[in-house]
Amino acid sequence: MEHNVTFLGYIPLLPLIGAAVLGFLHIGTCNRKPLNEKLYGLIACVGPVLAFVLALRVFLTLKGMPEEARYLSQKAFTWFQVGELDITMGFLADPLSSLMLVFVTLIGSLIHIYSIGYMEGDKNIGKFFAYLNLFVGSMLILVLGDNPVVMFVGWEGVGLCSYLLISFYSEETNNVLAGNKAFIVNRIGDLGFVLGMAFLFWAIGAGGFDFFSLKANAHSLTPGIALAVCLLLFVGATGKSAQIPLYVWLPDAMAGPTPVSALIHAATMVTAGVYMVARFSFIYAHVPVAGEIVAWIGILTALLAAIFAMFQDDIKKILAYSTVSQLGYMFAGVGVAAYSAGIFHVFTHAFFKALLFLGAGAIIYAMHHEQNIWKMGGLKNKMPKTYITMLIGALALAGCPPFAGFFSKDEILFSTLATGHYGIWAIGVLVAGMTAFYTFRMIFVVFHGEPRDQEAYDHCHEAPAVMTVPLIILAVGALFAGFLNLPAIFGGNQLVSHWLAPSLVEHHPHVSIFIEIIAIGASVAAFVVGIRIAYKRFAVGAEEPQFSGFCKFAYHKFYIDELYDGVFVQPYKKIGNAIRKTIEPSVTDAPVTLASKLYMVIGTAFKVFQVGYVRVYAIYMIVGLSLMSLLLSQSLN
Amino acid sequence: MTNDFMLLMPLIIITAGAISLMLVAAFEKVTIEQASFCCMGIFGIAFLMQLSNCITGNVTPYETVFNNMLVISNFTRVAGLIILGCGFFTAMSAQTYFKQNNFCTTEFYSLITFSACGMLLLTMVQELISVFIALEIMSLAIYILVGYDRKNKTAAEAVMKYLMLGAFAGAFFTMGAALIYGGAHSTQFSSIGQFVAENGFFNNPALVAGSFFVLVAFLFKAAAFPFHAWVIDVYDGASAPITGYMATGLKTAIFAVFANFLVADESLRSSWVNYLFYFSVFTMFVGNLIAIGQDTLKRMLAASGIVHTGYLLIALVAVSADNFSGNVILYYLAAYAVGTLGMFAALSYLGGEGEKRKSFDDFKGLAQVRPYSAAAITIFLLSMAGIPPTAGFMGKFFVITSAIDAGQIALAVFGIISSILSMWYYLRLIISMYFHEATDSFEDTTSNGLAPIGTFILAACVLIIGLYPVII
Repeated sequence: MEHNVTFLGYIPLLPLIGAAVLGFLHIGTCNRKPLNEKLYGLIACVGPVLAFVLALRVFLTLKGMPEEARYLSQKAFTWFQVGELDITMGFLADPLSSLMLVFVTLIGSLIHIYSIGYMEGDKNIGKFFAYLNLFVGSMLILVLGDNPVVMFVGWEGVGLCSYLLISFYSEETNNVLAGNKAFIVNRIGDLGFVLGMAFLFWAIGAGGFDFFSLKANAHSLTPGIALAVCLLLFVGATGKSAQIPLYVWLPDAMAGPTPVSALIHAATMVTAGVYMVARFSFIYAHVPVAGEIVAWIGILTALLAAIFAMFQDDIKKILAYSTVSQLGYMFAGVGVAAYSAGIFHVFTHAFFKALLFLGAGAIIYAMHHEQNIWKMGGLKNKMPKTYITMLIGALALAGCPPFAGFFSKDEILFSTLATGHYGIWAIGVLVAGMTAFYTFRMIFVVFHGEPRDQEAYDHCHEAPAVMTVPLIILAVGALFAGFLNLPAIFGGNQLVSHWLAPSLVEHHPHVSIFIEIIAIGASVAAFVVGIRIAYKRFAVGAEEPQFSGFCKFAYHKFYIDELYDGVFVQPYKKIGNAIRKTIEPSVTDAPVTLASKLYMVIGTAFKVFQVGYVRVYAIYMIVGLSLMSLLLSQSLN
Repeated sequence: MTNDFMLLMPLIIITAGAISLMLVAAFEKVTIEQASFCCMGIFGIAFLMQLSNCITGNVTPYETVFNNMLVISNFTRVAGLIILGCGFFTAMSAQTYFKQNNFCTTEFYSLITFSACGMLLLTMVQELISVFIALEIMSLAIYILVGYDRKNKTAAEAVMKYLMLGAFAGAFFTMGAALIYGGAHSTQFSSIGQFVAENGFFNNPALVAGSFFVLVAFLFKAAAFPFHAWVIDVYDGASAPITGYMATGLKTAIFAVFANFLVADESLRSSWVNYLFYFSVFTMFVGNLIAIGQDTLKRMLAASGIVHTGYLLIALVAVSADNFSGNVILYYLAAYAVGTLGMFAALSYLGGEGEKRKSFDDFKGLAQVRPYSAAAITIFLLSMAGIPPTAGFMGKFFVITSAIDAGQIALAVFGIISSILSMWYYLRLIISMYFHEATDSFEDTTSNGLAPIGTFILAACVLIIGLYPVII
């Protein structure tokens, strides 16, 4: 089989070209007559859709290869070479990245199509689509990079694009601040990633820095360094994938347009951290302690975010915290070395979370940018398609069998139980119940009961087909994606796990069917209890509650944002201000200003020499000549 | 013999083209527009011819043709290529420039071609008398071009100054050539080099004085300190396309012949290195200081041209005669040429009638009105300032690394300091363009000429040459 191909590079390149074309079109026309919006939409969709086709080709090519040698690679060019570090701009498609590729491009394409409807009438639509394309392109670089450095390019790219898109409505200060927050928090995580990468290079980089060589040399890492590498990389992951303590940016990221939220939460960005941990599974597998930490942080994040989600009243914030919570599950999965379960949850989550966000977008679009669920109600009659698709998404998120979320979440919970992490399992089951509760709280309040705002209700209408069709496609995904990895107990043979096996370093513990039944039973029970409580309290005639005590504490997200602000941001700002006011002007700036003033004076003085008389110029020549002659006469023998 | 002709084909095309353009100009039916296209055509064909020579012909280095009067090496060919490119883009800029300024006649393009003929010869000559002839062919045409706008006082002033000081420098050259002949008994570069190698340099006063005078003439043409003073006024007085042409084509030719003369023998070069060091440092810093004080764009660019001469002198100090390829000099010249030509091409169509937009303030807010033009100008300026990923950065990088390789650490440090200083005046224009509200509508600049196209091609070249330095 030929492993070296030339078409991998086109997968990220196509959306990137799209971004460049859109960007130029936008710059060229924004001050004059704007182009037709549809044109932007069409150009924007070309890149991701073609990338999806190529991704399918990659997938099928890999499928045709023998299982143990499934990979494609492309070395585009030597990017740079410094000392021992020889970095190729190389791409690698193995089962892990091919799975990511397929769903990133698929969901990315659907979100692009949906955006044509959602962003209609926005004057910066060209800019929006350019960023969106750039976002997908960066994510594809991240997924395809065959060494950590190329991966880091994509890693930074998605960080940048999230910043650009979160602050897209830049007229409002809050949106810009949210963008800043996302960027800065991500940068803190990036520091971890860079340090981890540096450690890795220092330890085993001499044998080559692509993933194959690293995997081959991973055994020579000393336990201490391996632990350090794992934890530092995980710091990066907590930033990008919104885990404790760096999760704070994700809920604020709701400031961006809704398709962007969908893109960030489903296809790109937040999944990067999980993907990265799975990609480095060859190191994590050797350091159980690191896995333990990852799993605990993951499950605690899941718990915390679920608590927050139960008390939010902004539809997008509920979904945002649910993403944080689900990401927590994924890390719990990869933490207990069930990498394929974690990635599988990434995969199914992408479908139903994109679906829920796009559905929420349709509602917001219909309600004229109202996001408070307590202003909605009874919408199921007005927006039947959105209702049904979102209901499917909600069932999948809540983990109702046989929807996608059930299988993947169950797989993770089962793995925690199978590896003996009973505490994590118990919290996981609790969170599953809470998930069912807050998801259906949202569904009931928004779609059922009586309209709370009669005027908005009367004006509201179903979204256009360009928005509902992607919803329906995603709903199909949310319904059936779970069957891809049907466990043996239901007569399946875990296609996804087997597919991913060659890319990952994991072993499936053999446990009795009894434990598997317990796991499934507990999940289903949690789901039923959660949904039942939600039904009782919110199905009919619920009013906006006044929180007190713990609820109020949770409604304000435990005041963690305020805590960070008080402990880190404000002191940092104060120090910065102090430096700006005292040290900068007097210590660092003064000599520079002085030097520049000096040159200004000398420069002006030199103007005097340009008198404009030829005779003076001739004199300069003669003087110069004479001086040189004097010098020369010294050297004459 | 046929081989000789093939190698000289670009020169022959240019000369024949110049003569026929001059003849054609006698007919009234030929419009200025047509003449400009003919001129571009001639340069284009000669350029392609030279390019194919560069790619295909595998001559031994320093192949001599026409009985040792001319020499052809890869160095001379690429230098010729740069000159022909400069001519092409100058004709392109002029085409647009003369839509707004009407002092042009068809002979203008003939003169550009004549001067290119002199420049091409200069890159190849190996003998002092031929140098003088080539220098004069080039200079005479340029004198006329500088003062082409006879009604314009500054142009008249510029040509007077240039002519007088040029004659001064020409006198030095002939004097120097005579002394060298007296000292070394030959006018051939190689024989002079051989003579120096055998008999030493500093024990022959005639040779020392002669080569010093020749050096002065070269330094004058290349605008090095202290022979730089004419540059500001002359560049300011000449029309924008011609200024661009002088700053690029002429400089390329001069540095080509300068390098050819110096590297004729290692001992000749090494005897001059110490002195060139001072010339280089002073040229850079004086140029910078003059540029800082300027308020109009063309004067600033003229002064920055002095600074770039300083960098090229660094490269001359650092070249080694034993293994002379001239790559560094050529790369720097090419990088400088695309940046400067682009700058003047942009000025050709943005300047307006009678070049009324001159100062930094006149270009305030250009980015709002003409975003692409402003972006292109920004690229040129960043290239001249030496900021990656432009050609100018790579050029400076090569120059400075070559200086370090040659052990001239001090020179490298001075070069870096000077390049930091130069940000001052380059960034000033960028600030004007981007950080101020537009006061001018630039409406008269939307003429449908070729100069904008040329500008964008050159901007692309700056980036391409910067990212793939290998192609040169």
